[in-house]
Amino acid sequence: MKRICVFFVLVLIISGVFMFAGEKKGEAQKITLLYWTFEDPTLTTIEERFVQEFQNKYPDVTIKRSTYPSGENIEQKVLIAFAVGKGPDIINLEMRASFPYVVYGRVAPIDPEAVGYKSQEEIYNDYLEGTLNVVTHEGKLYGLPEQLGSYNLLLNKKYFREAGLNPEKDYPKTWEEMLEVAEKITIREGEIIMRRAFDFRYPQYLTSWLPMVQQLGGSFLSKDASRCVINSEAGLRVMQYMAEWGPNGRNFGSPTYANARKNFNKDDGSIAMCLTGLYQTARLKVENPAFYESGEWMFVPYPRFADAVSDNGCNYYSHFFMVNAEKPDYNQKSAWRFIGYMTKHPEEYMVESALIQPRKSLMKSDVFNKYPYADLFIQEIAKSYPVIHHMNALKFEELMKEAIQSVMLTGVDPKEALQRLEQKANEVMLGG
Amino acid sequence: MNKVRMVQPTRKIGKRKQAYHRVGWRFSYLDNFLVWGILVVTMGLVLTPLAFMVVSSVMPYREVMRIPFRWIPTSFHWQNYWQAIRGNDGSFIYLRNILNSFFVASMVTLTTVFISAMTGYGLAKLPFRGRNLVFIMIMATMMVPFEAIMIPLYLIVTKFGWQDSYTGLIIPLMVNAFGIFLMRQFLITFPDAVIDSARIEGASEFRIFWDIVLPNAIPAVVALGILTFRQQWDSLIWPLLITQSEEMKTIPLYIVRFNSEKYTNEGALMAVAVIASLPIIILFFSMARYFTGGLTISGMKH
Amino acid sequence: MKRNSRRGSLGKYKAIGGWIFVAPALFYFALFSFYPLINAFYTSTLQKDILSLQPSKFIGLENYVYLFRSEDFWKSIEATAVFTLGCFIPLATVSLLLAVFIYSRSKRFQNFLQMAYFLPAILSTAAAAVVWLLVFDPRGLANQWVNFIANTPGIDHKWLALSHMVRFSTIIIYFWKYIGYFTIIYFAGLSNIPRTYYEAAKVDGAGSWTQFWSITLPLVKPTIVLVSIIAMIQCMRTFSTQYLFTQSGAATEPINVITLNIYRTAMRDRYIGRASAMSIILFFAILIFSWFQLKVSRTEKISYI
Repeated sequence: MKRICVFFVLVLIISGVFMFAGEKKGEAQKITLLYWTFEDPTLTTIEERFVQEFQNKYPDVTIKRSTYPSGENIEQKVLIAFAVGKGPDIINLEMRASFPYVVYGRVAPIDPEAVGYKSQEEIYNDYLEGTLNVVTHEGKLYGLPEQLGSYNLLLNKKYFREAGLNPEKDYPKTWEEMLEVAEKITIREGEIIMRRAFDFRYPQYLTSWLPMVQQLGGSFLSKDASRCVINSEAGLRVMQYMAEWGPNGRNFGSPTYANARKNFNKDDGSIAMCLTGLYQTARLKVENPAFYESGEWMFVPYPRFADAVSDNGCNYYSHFFMVNAEKPDYNQKSAWRFIGYMTKHPEEYMVESALIQPRKSLMKSDVFNKYPYADLFIQEIAKSYPVIHHMNALKFEELMKEAIQSVMLTGVDPKEALQRLEQKANEVMLGG
Repeated sequence: MNKVRMVQPTRKIGKRKQAYHRVGWRFSYLDNFLVWGILVVTMGLVLTPLAFMVVSSVMPYREVMRIPFRWIPTSFHWQNYWQAIRGNDGSFIYLRNILNSFFVASMVTLTTVFISAMTGYGLAKLPFRGRNLVFIMIMATMMVPFEAIMIPLYLIVTKFGWQDSYTGLIIPLMVNAFGIFLMRQFLITFPDAVIDSARIEGASEFRIFWDIVLPNAIPAVVALGILTFRQQWDSLIWPLLITQSEEMKTIPLYIVRFNSEKYTNEGALMAVAVIASLPIIILFFSMARYFTGGLTISGMKH
Repeated sequence: MKRNSRRGSLGKYKAIGGWIFVAPALFYFALFSFYPLINAFYTSTLQKDILSLQPSKFIGLENYVYLFRSEDFWKSIEATAVFTLGCFIPLATVSLLLAVFIYSRSKRFQNFLQMAYFLPAILSTAAAAVVWLLVFDPRGLANQWVNFIANTPGIDHKWLALSHMVRFSTIIIYFWKYIGYFTIIYFAGLSNIPRTYYEAAKVDGAGSWTQFWSITLPLVKPTIVLVSIIAMIQCMRTFSTQYLFTQSGAATEPINVITLNIYRTAMRDRYIGRASAMSIILFFAILIFSWFQLKVSRTEKISYI
């Protein structure tokens, strides 16, 4: 028995060694690029095809594409790999998480020629105004967009009608109206809400909560991004709004209920509106075709405050393809070539995965213009701000979460919570 | 010593009472009722989430999240299982993931149990200078949070080139201090007399370990085996860090992947979970007979 | 039979055997545990951002000083302490009780019962999280059942919202998950006791209660020590329950246990130096508490031969 175990272990070690002896082929002849991105079956279908086509075109390059669960999982994986110096050649992360890679020089500035342009200038001209600003640092461009996304209000018409409202006319255009609509649509059993009119996209405060403050003229960081200024009139009003919305106020919703957007597609009466992205309709088509076909849903713009000084919608987030700066030059060049190849197909990303790549050519195409609500999203994005990118962006979001949750769930005074938030954010920026 | 033989029940009492005689405890009728009562109620509470899992696995997702939850499904939505195995991308990779989990967990369990028993025996029965220090050092490794050593461990493993391989999945988890601690505590109570008499008869330390001690520590060995297997089955962070290709991933990664943002079919997710739980249940049932074997130290009577 | 005259060579023989038996594990730990631990020690004295390519700055004990002055750190300590105490004591005691009850049943039921209690553990963490979050949803089973029993329809007990409730919820899940583990361990310990002892005691006229006190309890003591220490350590190292809770909308602060804090500081804030310092502090805390427990319950070898 023991001998069998020992034998097994030896077999493992030997096979492990062999598996990797195989990969270390001569540098001059063939290279293998590692490309890490999100798990998404539709994306995998398209990109695997791109991999095949690219490998046929450049036979000396092999691309190994690996996918990981989005969010913390992939972020952690990429972080640790880079930390020990074994990062992949190409990464695709959300800007909030990938900004530090740019600042620390872990990813390389773009190679316009490899990507298929004559100059960096030309690239900017090819993409929608302003959408590449977040990935520009000290005058250099560090990536190309894999997707640009934002959230708007998706509503279920049936539940509006059940409450005696006309969905096409009576949908909430302002946050004040939202409270009125919620009053009519919400159904409760005692304290427990059985049907929510609407609920926020709770974990994503930088994307979906901060814009409310910005609408009232406030912001999280000062203009020079040196300190936190959330503790303002605007911030206080929005914080008070959350208090009113939550279980200690008028009890319209709370972070402790199941996600609004996850329940929406089920059409089970538990949620009438949610904040979500364009991709949700693609999912709806597959998950609940009857509901999708019935047309009993529609997208409307993200609400504003009635006295808003800025007409911005939800902040938009972006994912960028980036290249590891520590790999050999030829690897980097090939990586940029591959990225250039992938981004030449924005229509496919749109049709197959409902992902928007903000290329001007896409905006003009039929595919885009015929896609339901694509124009709404682009119009909103044009008016809105990008999600803030900062070395401590993730920590800021955590602090926001604490503040908002303390106000909504444990009844902390909004002014106090806001003060603490600003104080802690400033400490963090000083290296705390 | 001979007196022992006389403690057989002389009368043919009912089977129940005979059982108590065997074990040596006897409960009155009321006690019996209470004990069963407590056992059943706690069992019910404990099993409810599992019942939820099994029942939901055959429901369409709309019914899974229904409030109030209907325990008896109106129809049996077996498609959930098909989708579970097929995966959201139609690749059937789940089958490979199950195989991986099985292989990795088995290897880790075999090595852990063997080395833990060996080390536990050494610490319990073979006195040597510095034994207590060694014991403390080994215990100390149990107290290190995984998050703290995650990165250096990843560094070592990638330096050997073990990423995305079975080697990388198995070797860093091959031994664990918990197992050693467990075995030591059990083996401490093993009677020295038996060991010493075997030594006097000339048996080598290893033979004593293999032929005498181990067979009599079966309940502990089996317990450790099951616990280790289960722990490996569920391990998420390390496989996440080590694997790159889909063919190498394990079950928990599949579950996370199945439950991603864009695909929310709770019924199928529960089906995935049911399938993932089956091997452990089978393992437990097949090993269960070793548990109640108990010690048969007949050798002691001589 | 054990004569001291033999001790010389027999002793040495045993000692060598001891080292041989222990060597593989030691070698393994040296590479995969001690080295990373020492590495963590070293990193805790640096001011380092995971992604930065700059050489790290040596700052000695500054990370530790910062932590001991940090409100956030002490809150984590509190969260961990509340969780550990609230969890490991019930775990260690109730599982003994259950094991004893199960042991007293006939063989047929013993396997079945152990299995029943162990079943929660087989449910993978990710799947269990989904189920429990549905249960603790305001519209879920937890509220439904409590309201039914206490006859308070429509009240939301805020399992995931209020500080003490969310801590209670995490303890419930952890307890539910591990009760089977420790019951099995206790059961194995009980099985370890030779039946001959009981039989001999019965012959001497001892009743079942006396048997329990004089035979079972002392002989199962090493197992009790084992279980309490392991349960305590596992509770102090708890991570996934809190992690999955905070990821899905539950209140964060009350359950921001130390391990979660370490993880966030390293992975989200990228302050690997500070995270390592927290890990070292946790390590020593566990070490001290375990040593204390071991001291308090000196394990003696009990032999009735």
